[in-house]
Amino acid sequence: MQNQIKQTNRSLLGINGVLATILLLATAGASAEYGLNFPEPAANVAQEIYNIHMMTMGIATVLLVIVFAIVFYSLYFHRKSRGFEADQEFHNSWFGNWSWVIVPVMVLGVDLTIAGKADAVLKKVWDVPKEENIMDVKVTGHQWWWEFDYLDHDIKVESRYVPKEESGDLYLREVDNRLVLPTGVKIRFLHTSADVLHAFWVPELAVKKDAIPGYVTETWAELNREGVFRGQCAELCGTWHARMPIVVESVSQEKFAAWVGEQKAIKVAAAAEASTDKTWSMDELMAKGKPLYETKCGACHQATGLGLPPAFPALKGSALTVGPIAGHLDIVLNGKEGTAMQPWNSLNDLEIAAIVTYERNAWDNNTGDVVQPADVKQAR
Amino acid sequence: MRIPEYQTPELRRKNVRLAWGLAGLALFFLITSFPFWSGIFRIVGTQALQ
Amino acid sequence: MSTTTLTHDEAHHHEAPKGWKRWLFSTNHKDIGTLYLLFALVMLFLGGASAMLIRVELFMPGIQMLDPDLYNNLVTNHALIMIFGAVMPAAAGLANWMIPMMIGAPDMALPRMNNLSFWVLPAAATMLILSFVVPFFPGGGTQINTGWTLYPPLSVQVGMSMDFLIFAIHLLGISSVLASINIIVTLLNMRAPGMTLMKMPMFCWTWLVTAFLLILVVPVLAGGVTMLLFDRHFGTSFFDAAGGGDPVLFQHLFWFFGHPEVYILLLPSIGVLSHVIPAFSRKPLFGYKSMVGAMLAVATIGMVVWAHHQYTIGMSLGAVTYFMIGTILISIPVGLMIFNFIATMWRGAMTFETPMLFAVGIVLMFTFGGLSGVMLAVVPADMQYHDSMFVVAHFHYVLMPGAVFGLFAGVFYWLPKWTGHMYDEKLGKLFFWVNVISFNITFFPQHFLGLAGMPRRIVDYNMIFTEFNVVSSIGAMVFGLSHLLFLYIVIKTMRGGKKAEKRAWEGAKGLEWELDSPPAFHTWTVAPQVK
Repeated sequence: MQNQIKQTNRSLLGINGVLATILLLATAGASAEYGLNFPEPAANVAQEIYNIHMMTMGIATVLLVIVFAIVFYSLYFHRKSRGFEADQEFHNSWFGNWSWVIVPVMVLGVDLTIAGKADAVLKKVWDVPKEENIMDVKVTGHQWWWEFDYLDHDIKVESRYVPKEESGDLYLREVDNRLVLPTGVKIRFLHTSADVLHAFWVPELAVKKDAIPGYVTETWAELNREGVFRGQCAELCGTWHARMPIVVESVSQEKFAAWVGEQKAIKVAAAAEASTDKTWSMDELMAKGKPLYETKCGACHQATGLGLPPAFPALKGSALTVGPIAGHLDIVLNGKEGTAMQPWNSLNDLEIAAIVTYERNAWDNNTGDVVQPADVKQAR
Repeated sequence: MRIPEYQTPELRRKNVRLAWGLAGLALFFLITSFPFWSGIFRIVGTQALQ
Repeated sequence: MSTTTLTHDEAHHHEAPKGWKRWLFSTNHKDIGTLYLLFALVMLFLGGASAMLIRVELFMPGIQMLDPDLYNNLVTNHALIMIFGAVMPAAAGLANWMIPMMIGAPDMALPRMNNLSFWVLPAAATMLILSFVVPFFPGGGTQINTGWTLYPPLSVQVGMSMDFLIFAIHLLGISSVLASINIIVTLLNMRAPGMTLMKMPMFCWTWLVTAFLLILVVPVLAGGVTMLLFDRHFGTSFFDAAGGGDPVLFQHLFWFFGHPEVYILLLPSIGVLSHVIPAFSRKPLFGYKSMVGAMLAVATIGMVVWAHHQYTIGMSLGAVTYFMIGTILISIPVGLMIFNFIATMWRGAMTFETPMLFAVGIVLMFTFGGLSGVMLAVVPADMQYHDSMFVVAHFHYVLMPGAVFGLFAGVFYWLPKWTGHMYDEKLGKLFFWVNVISFNITFFPQHFLGLAGMPRRIVDYNMIFTEFNVVSSIGAMVFGLSHLLFLYIVIKTMRGGKKAEKRAWEGAKGLEWELDSPPAFHTWTVAPQVK
């Protein structure tokens, strides 16, 4: 018994150990939570894509086994050490003379099988249905968050990653505002980008499409089950590429309608608040500005206001935030060309006023300036 | 550095000529990678239509 | 024939010059070949070190030691250094050493240009390293966080280090185009009498095709990065939609270069295999003609399928269908090549010295990588695989066996010829096993990561991806360090060892094995007559 344990220990130390770990992982993987294959599709086209994947993988595996079998047979039997004499005329046999036809024809057969099946699915993936009641969602990639515009419902959702302290095990797979979608409705995604390339990828929907600034690409999906599906940005988009999760919450059509109502109510309330002629106090603006700053600006300029130079300049004590208000407002509203700083003019006057006030007074900037929504309106 | 003495002037000329030809090919691909030709096509196309 | 009789006497006069001038002013194909190989070896370790840093960072979830931008810069540098610094110069080094000896020529056709094409490389490498170093200094701008594909608009945001990189790419391009011109001229004009094109050794054929590919596609990359430079500094908008340009145009230009580049890396190694497998199977290469045909087919089709790297950019249905079918069809000539290698082994009398071990490993693993390539070619399925770790696993299975192991096989095969010493066979075999096993441990699990939904080029990942990343990182450490053994074997062989005969391997065929080991400074001053 003792001996046996020692032996296992010894073998575990070497390369065998690593191999054993892999085998263990491979066998354990079937039941464990981490996947060895695609997650279960949640849309009809995704299911067909999954089937194509399984078919090509099956064909590839069979071919691989055949090639390995032939090579290992040859390695074992056609060895000099077994006394095998090389057949110097092999390449002149009928097989040698005709294999250049036989092999390509066989490979072509396999190719056509794969291409034929793929072509049928490809048409379904590519042809976005032209229906009246299709639901349009505009997906805009930003550095480093997603913006979802429900064009038919006039709702906009901003979706950002949730820091580790709040998301725990779902870190980098969880967002603050999910992309809520109804089942059983054909949804058309219109992809574009505000800055650099991004790519929308949720494996369960099986659509991946690049977001290209200045261009619109489209994909579509019809969800067939409820659930929460997680994906990530799949096109390198700069520093925090890893922090662009996408979470799709698939719900029934009734729940979706209720959610739409809720979102509209929130929007109306916010608009009402921003359009009052009220003069805001410093404390009110600071209280509003802090959370706004931290979600919208914090990824680059950091909650501490120190930024991540040289890519993202500090705001603490910078010439911009303690200098003239007009210059500050200009950068926030119009962005800075050639950098990651984008125009923020889609925010309402109150939000901008709160953010700018916060930036001018937080982290010992203490300019004492209070920027009112009316000032922002003028600067636009 | 010396001029390779194993090459006759004749072979040398042949080599250099081929090398320039290949360099020309490379240059052609370099130039056509700039998309100016798309503009030329457009001009030619619009003029042909008129 | 008067050529050779004229020069015969003079050739005896000068032996290798001494000191640094021998190397800096060298016009000798063997010396330049050695320089290329040494340069590639240095770059292999630089690129390998950056790869190991990447894997250390990915060992566990969370950001361990690298800032995201530094991580992305290492990803960029790993690719560029390995492709332009290690694999292409190593293949050019083999070409410089072997082509004149194989075709019975006294030297390359344009020896002084040969000197230039090598000495541009260290300058390019310096530029490349500067692009990495500059951001560490105050005012140096941001790190290059774009990956080697340098897609705009992200690459327009990067600071001055991108300009260093663009110039490095220009220099690397000049170097490879000059080297390619030289190789083509040598192969077409300098063959020994009687050596027709269809009698040319296979390695020469592969390099003839590779060199043509390089001349056709490298200028396109140069054009692309030049436009990028203009967009960055001179107010043009080739790639800026706001100014009427198109960011996707850069992707087309890049992959018009990038896809044939895969074959540029692969083909010289296919050439090496076409010598190694027959030598250790002790029978001629199966299907010489079909090999040449397959190679020409790969090169031709390979030039017109580039957009399979960009299935997700929103091309029309017709375009993606064309690129899908074209890409799948490449499996025909590639399959024929693999088949020819297996048929060469079939009914041979095989022995398994290190070059042969690598050759067999290539046949098996490259088949695997090729098959996952067919999976990726299928557009609907690629909607899932694209830009995931599955792609990373796939192209490492193609490029490590297909390019790097082929170069290792070539180095072990010809090292006795170059140095005059046999390498330590036991160590060679040990290197093979450690290298190949750790390679598989590193990259096989990445297939699963990709399928489970892990994108590539992310610095931090969710804990569901932990297990396979741990395995992969452990494999990568062993894999990276195993190359120190390679270095040791090479140095040991250079310094001494069992004397190598003219024909170092029992089954080796070809003109290079009729020369001494090591060969004289000038060889084939009298051209041999090929029957």
